[in-house]
Amino acid sequence: MSLTTLLGFSFVQNAIYAVTAVALAAGAVGYFVVLRRQAFAAHAIGHIGFAGAAGAVLLGLAPVVGLLVFCLGAGLVIGLAGATLDDRDAVVGVTLTAALGLGVLFISLYSGYANATYSILFGQILGVTTGDVWLVAGLSAAVLLTVSLVYRPLLFVSVDAQSAAVRGVSPMSYSVLFMGLLALTTVVAIQIVGVLLVFALLVAPAATAAALTGRPARAMLLAMALALASSWIGLALAIWIGGPTSFWITALASLGYLGARVRLRVGQAHGQRVAA
Amino acid sequence: MSVLELHDAAVTLDRRVIWREASFRLERGAVAAVLGPNGAGKSTLLRAVVGLVPLSAGTVTVFGAAPHRGDPRVGYVAQSRAADTLSTMTGRDYVGLGYDGPTVGWRRDRARAEIVTRALALTGTTTFADRPMHTLSGGQHQRIAIAHATVFRPELLLLDEPLAGLDLAAQAEVVDLINLVRDQTGAAVLVVAHDLNPLAPIVDRVVWIARGHVRCGNPDDVVNEATLSELYGHPIEIVHTARGRRVIVGLDEEFAHPHPHGHVHENEDPHTHLAEVYDEVTR
Repeated sequence: MSLTTLLGFSFVQNAIYAVTAVALAAGAVGYFVVLRRQAFAAHAIGHIGFAGAAGAVLLGLAPVVGLLVFCLGAGLVIGLAGATLDDRDAVVGVTLTAALGLGVLFISLYSGYANATYSILFGQILGVTTGDVWLVAGLSAAVLLTVSLVYRPLLFVSVDAQSAAVRGVSPMSYSVLFMGLLALTTVVAIQIVGVLLVFALLVAPAATAAALTGRPARAMLLAMALALASSWIGLALAIWIGGPTSFWITALASLGYLGARVRLRVGQAHGQRVAA
Repeated sequence: MSVLELHDAAVTLDRRVIWREASFRLERGAVAAVLGPNGAGKSTLLRAVVGLVPLSAGTVTVFGAAPHRGDPRVGYVAQSRAADTLSTMTGRDYVGLGYDGPTVGWRRDRARAEIVTRALALTGTTTFADRPMHTLSGGQHQRIAIAHATVFRPELLLLDEPLAGLDLAAQAEVVDLINLVRDQTGAAVLVVAHDLNPLAPIVDRVVWIARGHVRCGNPDDVVNEATLSELYGHPIEIVHTARGRRVIVGLDEEFAHPHPHGHVHENEDPHTHLAEVYDEVTR
């Protein structure tokens, strides 16, 4: 099957559009997840979203409604607690557990076959509809627009909350704002790679970028580029070779991170030799 | 008008009185050292001055008005943390963030690069400003932090433990820099420290906090046996060494000097240039 034929299919086109929008938003927000050391929160919000999706399915609503409600709610709780508490991880963990408990309850109450919840867990990129594409593109654009507007104060408060507070950047407001952005990004990323693999787009490209450069703007743009590259190539491999798209995307993102770490170690060893 | 004025000020956190009846003023161009045992509320004093901690009694005024966050006339260097998220950022990036502050939007400020460069030049940090901050020494790190806080040429500079964890040479560098910033900008400086000795050459005032009480005055008016004995509630002895340093005897060592580098080392032989610096203490 030729490339032009493939690109003629609307499900392939939709997949490309959706994956592009998601990768850009996830790369940008992911950079701040890594900088703020909130990977656990990012992980938790995805799983909390799963409970929301299960609840929505039970009520006969679109899963994305439940995703939005639960992810944003969890983001608000974690954002409010995380700005002031040192035991941020405990708050995240308890919120996560409570939500997963609800998720189990929702699934057990649902009598039908939980196909929708399966796709929430593992993603279903090739099943993306035109309506999904608009939703994903709209949310991603909103996230990117907000990040570009608050980039500098968000960076400031993320690296040095105390000095930022003195300069009039409220750590609490930015904590809540950021968790809101993270929640929205998680909702769109779940559509592509699913709850279990949301890290592949949110954390792996950003961690790779952060290992390669220390300059903030450069690292953020690199994270976006890496997320985009692993999504596009992953999608292509899934179509040409077969296998789940989310597997290919996670494999590529993880390999990229591994490569960056190896490069870093080799560079350090080289530096030590030169110094010696 | 004083730059900073406290009148019968008190801070209560979680129903515990941290300190009370604090009254002092700081004039333009004056350097005040904030001393006292760990946990006495030295950092809390700085946080009250920038409006991050409310007073439970009395008043604090900065430039004649109640303190508020985001006042560009106030520069602040927080205590540096062990796990530093700044590690991979360059000093120039970090100083730039101090200039941007809470500004939101896409507008690019043409003056930014020039003002950041000027702040780096003033603090003598230009040569290492483009290196990742985790490759810098403690003293270089602290000087970048001072560049960050002085990018707006603040009229009041607050420094929380800028000498903590530094060796004697680096301490002397940072003290020189604080003095330089004061001379160049005329800012009033409030600096929290563990040990008066390295700061003694540039200090005009001492604020000593212990057991919930605050004493302020000229160094000799506060750092004497009578005042400190009264503050601590038991006899304190002060020995002046040949090099002009003050060794304070009778503080609860565990409580007063919990930091490994905070001690006064009698047997240590400091660098020659430092000896000269210390000689000025008793003059």
